Parts: sequence; structure tokens; C-alpha cells
Amino acid sequence: MSEMQPSISSGRKFNAIWIIPLVALVAGVSIVVHSYMTEGPTITIEFKTAADLKPGKTKIKLLDVDVGLVESVVIKPDMSSVIATVKLDQNMRDHLNKNTRFWIVRASVGAGGVSGLGTILAGAYIKMAPGDGAGKQKAFIGLESPPQTPADAPGIRLTLFSDRAGSVSAGNSVLYNGYAVGRVETMTFDADKRQARYEIFIDAPYHELVNSSTRFWNVSGISLETSTMGIKIRTGSLDTVLLGGVAFAAPPGVPAGGPIESGKEFKLFDSYDEILTNPYRFGAYYVVMFKQSLRGLAPGAPVEYRGIQIGRVERLLMKELAAGGLTGGGASIPVLIYIEPGRIELADTQESVDQFKRVVKKGVTRDGMRATLETGNLLTGKKLISIDYFADKGPAELGQFDQYAVIPTIETGVARLQQQASDFLAKLNALPLEETVAEANNVLGNADSTLAALNLLLASDESQALPGELASTLADLRDVLAGFSQDSQVQQGLGASVNTLSTTLQSLDVLIRQLSIKPNSIIFPVSHEADPVPEAYSR
Amino acid sequence: MSDKPKTAASQGLASCHLCLKLVSVDVHVCPRCGSAIHLRKSNSLERTLAFLVTASILYIPANLLPIMITDQLGQPTESTIIGGVVLLIDMGSMPIAAVIFFASVMIPVSKLAMMYYLCWSVRHGPPETARQRTVFYRITEFIGKWSMIDVFVVAILVALVNLNNLLVIRPGTATVAFAGVVIASILAAESFDPRLMWDQQEDNNE
Repeated sequence: MSEMQPSISSGRKFNAIWIIPLVALVAGVSIVVHSYMTEGPTITIEFKTAADLKPGKTKIKLLDVDVGLVESVVIKPDMSSVIATVKLDQNMRDHLNKNTRFWIVRASVGAGGVSGLGTILAGAYIKMAPGDGAGKQKAFIGLESPPQTPADAPGIRLTLFSDRAGSVSAGNSVLYNGYAVGRVETMTFDADKRQARYEIFIDAPYHELVNSSTRFWNVSGISLETSTMGIKIRTGSLDTVLLGGVAFAAPPGVPAGGPIESGKEFKLFDSYDEILTNPYRFGAYYVVMFKQSLRGLAPGAPVEYRGIQIGRVERLLMKELAAGGLTGGGASIPVLIYIEPGRIELADTQESVDQFKRVVKKGVTRDGMRATLETGNLLTGKKLISIDYFADKGPAELGQFDQYAVIPTIETGVARLQQQASDFLAKLNALPLEETVAEANNVLGNADSTLAALNLLLASDESQALPGELASTLADLRDVLAGFSQDSQVQQGLGASVNTLSTTLQSLDVLIRQLSIKPNSIIFPVSHEADPVPEAYSR
Repeated sequence: MSDKPKTAASQGLASCHLCLKLVSVDVHVCPRCGSAIHLRKSNSLERTLAFLVTASILYIPANLLPIMITDQLGQPTESTIIGGVVLLIDMGSMPIAAVIFFASVMIPVSKLAMMYYLCWSVRHGPPETARQRTVFYRITEFIGKWSMIDVFVVAILVALVNLNNLLVIRPGTATVAFAGVVIASILAAESFDPRLMWDQQEDNNE
């Protein structure tokens, strides 16, 4: 080795070249950290089937902006549905709560229109509707059909329930006075309650038309009614005729209720007429029990208080009665009645019902309130139930039948009449009739003897000679009258005198006429005037 | 040992890196081309290792991140290197899959492995394998540039396939990382001074 060889330092000096891998490391780590930091939430969405869901391809869109991707689709262990694991963007983290909804958008052609055509080429995607609700959620259940309204749209979302699923279905209009103000979003059938349930949405500002006294009814199709007045056809707008729909309004004469919140439940009536007969929302059930004939008492019959209708008869609780076991001995028949405070101008609210219940309780327990069965119409025999205070009845207790309170009853109407009649007969029985008859017999006996005395009087000789004398008197009277007959001397002399007088008067008449025309004719001679000649017609 | 050829270093001579002129180690500037004269490439091992580490680090995102994004009718499909190979095998294009696999996986990995081995062997390797290691070095130097094929494929596809909404190919982040891997490994091979292996043998001989 040459001494000239440069000495090479083997000191552990930092070489600038190591900056390069450091930079690479920092860059790599920062990518990892960045991707970890910006990693969005991973959620699962349950769908009925995996139709149109492609792992790594199907996107999640919010307002048509991609916010995530389906990573995998697996079948649930119980094979009831599929679970899509979805990776969302980081900024979606705050929008995941119980009101967030997901549904698959595909091309669809329906009565409501054509939608999702873009998905034919680009493939279906999952649409997300953020909700404003509390709490975070990672597992969701996807909707099978798209909700009709964005979750944050202004308006009100209500639930309608109906005992039978009419022709209303998702997508139908909700009408107010014939104007579409909202739509039916979903329709489900609740097997437990045996009710069809509809989610409807009413757009702002029309949601203010809905209040607690509002009623909803089905306007689907055509309602045809024939009566003596002719044929009445009622229809909604054309699309509701074809597709079905829901209308709402406040029943006539019902005061407007208070404002309501989203999510409230309403009954969906079958027709507008049904609303007119059931215009009130709140009411209370009572039972009245009768031991008399209920012929003529039909469901719907009025329940009145002093002649003012406060409710109606719901039905006879025969099933419930039978369920209690037939004991014989003529048990009272329970009648379910439904009383609506709204009918007597009280507010149609639950508070009014509670107030009414207190009044009934007080009335029954203290003031002798009773229900009676009365005949409303004597011709048809329709009956009604009347509730009133009977001061002569003492305090009683509200009974209990099944789950209903029982208002005590008293018998009235025909039954009461029968009672009164039998009372009357009893009084009649108590009258001293035999003595009266004996008295009358006495009186009649006296009259008999009086008549016998009269007979004796008539049988006497004077009485018998009376007719003969009467006949001779009448013969004398006839002779007298014959002297005045037409061919008697008196009559003839009278006739001659009258004739002479008549002749004299005629000659006197000529003289008197002469004198009336010309009074001086007795002294001066009469000059005759020329006959009058009519004048010629002069032009 | 006298019949053995003497090395230039033992004669106090150094070769110019650029024009290969033999000059005395005392001279620091090549009298012919003017470039700096070193007996051996300065800090060769350290530099090589640094580039190797860089390449190794970059190789991780190059494989994990998507190298190519295909927008087909607005539906972007991201594909990684291995994903692309698997896709090609699924599609039955075995030759293309093999080419991509060799260019993108086999070559870079084997090159990195060989370079690590060479760096290690300069200090600790058995001297009798020096000739074999030189062959390794030659191979490394030769195949290194071919690993860029993947980047080229992406670059060409991006330029060629741009049918607006129908089909668009975009380069992914991994393209940059992969290019980094290739460049770092080329630089590593460049930084490595194969004469170090022979120096070791010389030292052993003396």
C-alpha cells in the first residue's frame, strides 16, 4: 500500500444520502396515516336480496355525490337477507343515525313515472338519505322501496292506519280540497294489529292545514250512491281515481284542534261519509246493562243527554257476555256506548274526555245519573239510550264490565209504562166498587116503582075517554074552516069588490100620468109636439 | 501470487468514473475530462443501501394502492398490480399475466434481494463466490430497466384510452410509488461499486 493513499475515515458520520429513504419513509407513513385518518366509517346495510349489489362497484350516493362503496355482500347466517358492508367517506360519519335511510336505486317504470334510467348503463346504486337523529348507528336496514320525500324536506310526516288495506298505495297523492299537498310514502301491513299502515308526507306550508281535529279518508276510485234523490257520484282527481289517494279535511262543524307533531297517528276512514258520521277523534267507551228488550237498538243509535246527542251505540257485547259463561236467570245485556265530548262543543281532545269521565263518575256516584232505554221513534220502534239525572235515585257506583266502566241503568219507556199501568190497576183494584154497585141497584129499584105508578094513572077511565073528546073538537074546527073555502059566499063577495077597486085605480092611473108630464093640463089644453127627426151625418 | 495481475489500486492508480482514464490517486481532478477522481465510488455501500431501503419502502404502497383506475361508463374500477395479474389470469390471458407478473413483481423483488445480498457479501460473503456475485450484478444491472415496463404500460394506456365518458384510464397513486421503486433500484445499482467485491478478494490474498 502506498503511503500516499488517502486515509479513509471510518467514523460513523451521518451521510446525506439517508435523507432519501427517510423522505420515502415519511411519505409512505404519511400516506398510511392520512388514509387511516381519512378512513370513513364502515357500516352494514341489510337488504332483502343482493340484486344489483356488486362488491367494489356499487356506490353509495348522497344527492348524487359518491360518498361510499359497497365492499362486500354476504348472506346473513339465517339466510333471511343479505348484508352489504359499505365503506363511506369520512365526512359521512356525522350523518349516520337512526333516521338515516338507504335504498337501492334502479331503473323503474311505474304509474308514478319513469325513474333511475341512468342506472341502466351505470348500474344500480345505493342512495342515502341523512337523518337528523341522536346517536350513532353502524348497522342499517335498507328500504325496499325509495322514500318519496327527502328526510330533511320541510313538511310533516304522519302515520295513517286503517282496518283494511284499500286501494291506497305508496306514491299516491294526499289531497286537500282536491289539491295535492303530499304523498303516501310507504304502505305496510301490521299483522299484529291487523292494520294497514301508511306513512304519508305533507309538504310545507300545507302541513299547517293538519291539526288534531283533521280526518283522513280514502278517495280512491269512484263512490256511487243511489237514493230517492237520484244517483250521487263522488270522485277525487283523475289520478286518484286511477291510482288511489288520501284526502284530509276537518269535519264540518268541528272546531280546529291544536297543532300536531311529526309522526302522529291518524285513522284513515273509508269514505268521506264515514267522517261525517264519526267526526270526532276522542271519546270514551262505557257499558250500560239492560234487563229489558233491546229490540230496535241498533249499533249507531244515538246516546243522548236530555235530547242532545252525545254519542252513539257501538255494539251489544254479546260475545263478552257469553265469554263470562251463561248463568241463566236472565242476565242483563251489556251495550257498549261511545261518548264523544266533541259533540257538545267541548274541545276534541283527550283532556275533554278525561273531564267528561270525571263528570260521569261524579254524576253516578252522587247525583243519581242513570242511563235509560227510550223509544226514539214510535213508528219504527227505533230505540236510543238516554242519560239523565234522576234525583230520586240514590248514589251508585260505576261498575265494571270487561274493561269498560258501567253506568247504572233504570228501566223506562215501555217497561216503565207497563210498571205504571200495573200500578194504576192495583189502585183500581183497591177502589170500593161493590158498594157503589149496591147503591146503584137501590136507585134503579126506586125508578121501577115510579114507573108502576105512572102505568096506573094511564089505565084510568078519564085517561081512556080523552081521545074521543079530542076527535069531536077537531070535527067542529073543520066545519068552521069550511065556511072560508073558495066557493063560499064570503069569498065571492070579496072577489067582486076587489075587481071594482082595480078598474077604478086603472082609470085614475091615466090621469095621474098626464098630470106628472104636464101639471097644468087640467087648466090648459094639451099641444102635441112633432116627432123627433135624427140629424144627417155632416162631414 | 506474483503471477497474479496487479490491480490498479495497488499501483496507486485510480480510474476516472467518466472517461475511465487511469490517473494517480493523488490527482483529484481528471486531467482529460475534468471530473472528480476517486479510487472507488464514494460511500458506495451506504448509498446503495440507502437507495435499496427507499425502494423497499416505496414497494409497499406500490402494491397496496391502485396503480390504474378504469372509468367505465362512469364506474371507476381500481386495480392494484397483483389484482391486475389475478384479473388477467381469470380472463385467461396467461402470457400477459406472466409478463406483468415478471415485470412488476419478480424483477423488482429479485433485484432488491440480489442487491441486498451483494451489499452484505462485500463485507461478509465468502470470497470464492466473487465471480458468481459479479454475474448477479450483471443480471441486476440488465433487468433493472425492464421493471419500468409497468409504469410504461400505464402511461401509454392513459394516453391512448380516453373516450370521455365511455372509458377513461387514469394512473393511480401506486404508479408514482412504483416508478420510485424502479428509479431507486436503478440508482442503487448505479451506486454499487462492483470492484468492492474484488477488493475483498485482494485483501484476503494479501
